[in-house]
Amino acid sequence: MDANGVSASNDWQGRYNHIDQILEQPGPRTDESFGAGDTVKDFLRNQCKVLVIGAGGLGCEILANLALTGFKEIHVIDMDTIDISNLNRQFLFRQKDVGKPKATVAAEFIMKRVPGVTVTPYFGKIQDKDEDYYMQFHLVICGLDSVEARRWINATLINMVDSDSPESLKPLIDGGTEGFRGQARVILPTVTACIECTLNMHTKPTAFPICTIANTPRLPEHCIEWASVLEWPRVHGDKKMDNDDPEHIGWLYSTALKRAKEFNIDGVTWSLTQGVVKNIIPAIASTNAVIAAACCNEAFKIATSSAAYLDNYFMYMGNDSIYTLTFQPERREDCPVCGNNSLPIEISKDMTVEQLIETLGERPDVQAKKPSLATATSSIYLQSPKQLEEATRPNLEKKVSDFVEESGQIIVTSVSLPFSLQLIVHFV
Amino acid sequence: MTSDSQDIESATTAMSPVITDAPDSKTRRYDRQLRLWAASGQSALESSRILVLSGTATSTSILKNLVLPGIGHFTILDDAKVSNEDAGNNFFLEGPESIGKPRASEAVRLLRELNESVDGAAELSDISSAIAKGASYFADYSLVIAHNIPYSQLNQLSEILWSDVTLPHLIIVRSAGFLAEFSIQFHEHTIIESHPEMPPSLRLDKPFPALLEHARSLDFENMDVTDHGHIPYAVILVRAMDDWKAKNGGKAPTTTAERDAFKKSIYAMKKKSDEENFDEAVTQFRRAFVETKVPMDVADLFQDQGLTSLTPQSSPFFHLLAALREFCSRPPHTLPLSAALPDMKADTKNYVHLQKLYKTQSEKEKDEFKEILAQSGIGVAGVEMGMVDDFVKNCHGLRILRGKRWGALDANPTALASALLSSPREAATHLALSSVSVLLEQTPQKAITTEAVTAHVLNLLPKGTELPSEVEEALGEVHVPSHSHLDESADLTVSVRSPTADLPNTAAFLGGIVAQEAIKMITKQYVPVNGICAIDLIGCTTGIVRV
Ligand SMILES: [Zn+2]
Repeated sequence: MDANGVSASNDWQGRYNHIDQILEQPGPRTDESFGAGDTVKDFLRNQCKVLVIGAGGLGCEILANLALTGFKEIHVIDMDTIDISNLNRQFLFRQKDVGKPKATVAAEFIMKRVPGVTVTPYFGKIQDKDEDYYMQFHLVICGLDSVEARRWINATLINMVDSDSPESLKPLIDGGTEGFRGQARVILPTVTACIECTLNMHTKPTAFPICTIANTPRLPEHCIEWASVLEWPRVHGDKKMDNDDPEHIGWLYSTALKRAKEFNIDGVTWSLTQGVVKNIIPAIASTNAVIAAACCNEAFKIATSSAAYLDNYFMYMGNDSIYTLTFQPERREDCPVCGNNSLPIEISKDMTVEQLIETLGERPDVQAKKPSLATATSSIYLQSPKQLEEATRPNLEKKVSDFVEESGQIIVTSVSLPFSLQLIVHFV
Repeated sequence: MTSDSQDIESATTAMSPVITDAPDSKTRRYDRQLRLWAASGQSALESSRILVLSGTATSTSILKNLVLPGIGHFTILDDAKVSNEDAGNNFFLEGPESIGKPRASEAVRLLRELNESVDGAAELSDISSAIAKGASYFADYSLVIAHNIPYSQLNQLSEILWSDVTLPHLIIVRSAGFLAEFSIQFHEHTIIESHPEMPPSLRLDKPFPALLEHARSLDFENMDVTDHGHIPYAVILVRAMDDWKAKNGGKAPTTTAERDAFKKSIYAMKKKSDEENFDEAVTQFRRAFVETKVPMDVADLFQDQGLTSLTPQSSPFFHLLAALREFCSRPPHTLPLSAALPDMKADTKNYVHLQKLYKTQSEKEKDEFKEILAQSGIGVAGVEMGMVDDFVKNCHGLRILRGKRWGALDANPTALASALLSSPREAATHLALSSVSVLLEQTPQKAITTEAVTAHVLNLLPKGTELPSEVEEALGEVHVPSHSHLDESADLTVSVRSPTADLPNTAAFLGGIVAQEAIKMITKQYVPVNGICAIDLIGCTTGIVRV
């Protein structure tokens, strides 16, 4: 330290007075392993390395909280760029940043505002990184809006657990929000319930049956889906629709409006069109702040052992008064990721392969988009490549019982599944 | 119309709405929140003026979540200079560069960067001088928020703001380490748009004449099979019940056996096994006979003191409520019909027709409501027509909250003791924070011992109250610095000014939850907390202590 009390690590005297009140003495609910004083401060400020996944609504909050709490080595991954509609809550971004990568802008802002903190951004997908990369962190915090990405990081961290090496167990703290609601949870891979164990707690976006959209529209949403799912490819052929292009949204809006008029349906607006097409979830700064704070508070308690941590799921509802519930979802024995890796499924003897595929997409505990099916020895139906899809397409109409016997196995793979799922088929 | 003219029309409509209806940049910025509180909520936010007392990390966290969604104006009243520890725990200060500068000015400058359309001001004076100015000083604001201000000042402030119903509401926020609480001081808060989960009744048990007539007019037996599979379940249920009553002396099924038989009669109407509209009717069959009444929560409002003491000066809400009470006293003793029809398996023609029936009837009942309102002859002039529409549309979710003055719980030993029994964790958090804040002021230069706090807690409770373990746990967590800590500190004044820990995560948590409640109060949408919300970030739990 120099004469002014500023050390090489930018810690001016008294910088952490608030936090040190917690770190210098245990409380009544603090674990005995707590190394009050310099030991815990050194780990928090000089050794602990944290990964933040997502630099959006939750991510901005998480980064700021971690930096103020004293975490000095933070990495952040995000594949998105900044949009004007982010500015009502993603407070590290300004109008001038629109179009730039979220991870980079967020990292620069934090390093400028909170001296001595290193934030290393990665503008890309979590799937670009391998186990060696994830192994370097002590903790992973997720602030994502995608179930698919959550499932992927969950499966990756669980796969990394090596029972001979305690270091390989990386606590995963996961937050999510939707309007005035949200949740924060602590996952200790292979110890507590994982994302996959509780998949049915994630709400699926509403899907409208294609026949309703095509033939019997009743709601404005049906007209909008008609415009985007059926009319766009019919009129524009292979040209891809861009959700963020106002001209494309404009075309969908006027097309949906025309159909709505024809069917005497009220309520097609620009805002609704955008909402349906982009599957927009309402999002506000306040809910994100609550959930991100809960996540970072858990990160702080886990990194310092200064207090007991969340066991293990915190649910928050802020629309009618404030209602929260802290509870312990249990591990699913048949969890395909942290459990025994196979899922028993009861189906009718007459169920066709196509119906099974539909069921796997709809079941809240599976949610497999466009799955491919195979037995241990042969393919049943493969979504790609094109030749194999064509070759296996006739199987769609055949019965599942033509391929497997009672208690037989089907292996399911899908882009939305970060693992291959083994189904144990029981006919009823 | 010829096919040519239609083409011209479609050719023109194809482009024009695109240009005129595309959202402006403000709508795009606020899109994700407008989906929650719409333009009406946004405009309420934009005309709000908020005063925040103290420029702590918690205060700026709260403000961040109010500036981002776009309040009109905020003032931070704070005479402190940025200390070393402020610079360490407050995101709206620039680290060591801010040390020594006025805390309020620094925070206002950095908060304003979040949203150009929000106006902010720093007032570098202390709270007691504001209090000395009395009610007129606060009357300019729509809401006052106070974080960790001294107990006696809070007492004076809450007294001033309680003295007149037109003065701003007060949100009191306290925190220490992992524990926190807040409450909102208001006399009365009325809500039209509470956004309830429960949709309004379809009134299928009491079908309005046009609906009954429509259900009777359909020839289920001889209808085309496709059409049969496209009748909305609401119509099926009305018809099934009408047929049932015709065969059962005009009576609806009451016993379990009768209701089962009724359910079977719906099954029996199917022409094909896969008619999904009939499956829906079977699932929803109770709607045909469960009596639609005025929902209990709304019926309770009819007894509210705001109605018993209605005068021309009463707020429009109560005049509307009086009209609603009169409406509901007339047959069929229900709320005005809602025009909002949920989706049902049906074809376009059948669904749109049903929607039209509901809309027409709903308009008719709204006109009846307006007539009652006009005849009542009191205060109607003050009720805007837009408000009448909103009131009728949302009447199934109306709410009135009645609050108490801040401190009411601590002045009531019996209520405190019963809170300790019913919600020990939350009551303990409240007692710990409340006692520490009293003691901090009484003995500002000294560390406070656990014994002293415990004695204070016991003093608030009836004699002989046994303290649950939660109280001990809470007291041990408030982390008042020990005497030795103060001795070691090179800068004694700093430690004394902020003798409890304002942790960044606790501050951020409060920042979210308090801003959310402020938004509910300002927009008069959704339902704010009535009572003390106690937060324990060790177990990660929250709960409300009723006052
Ligand atoms: Zn699992």
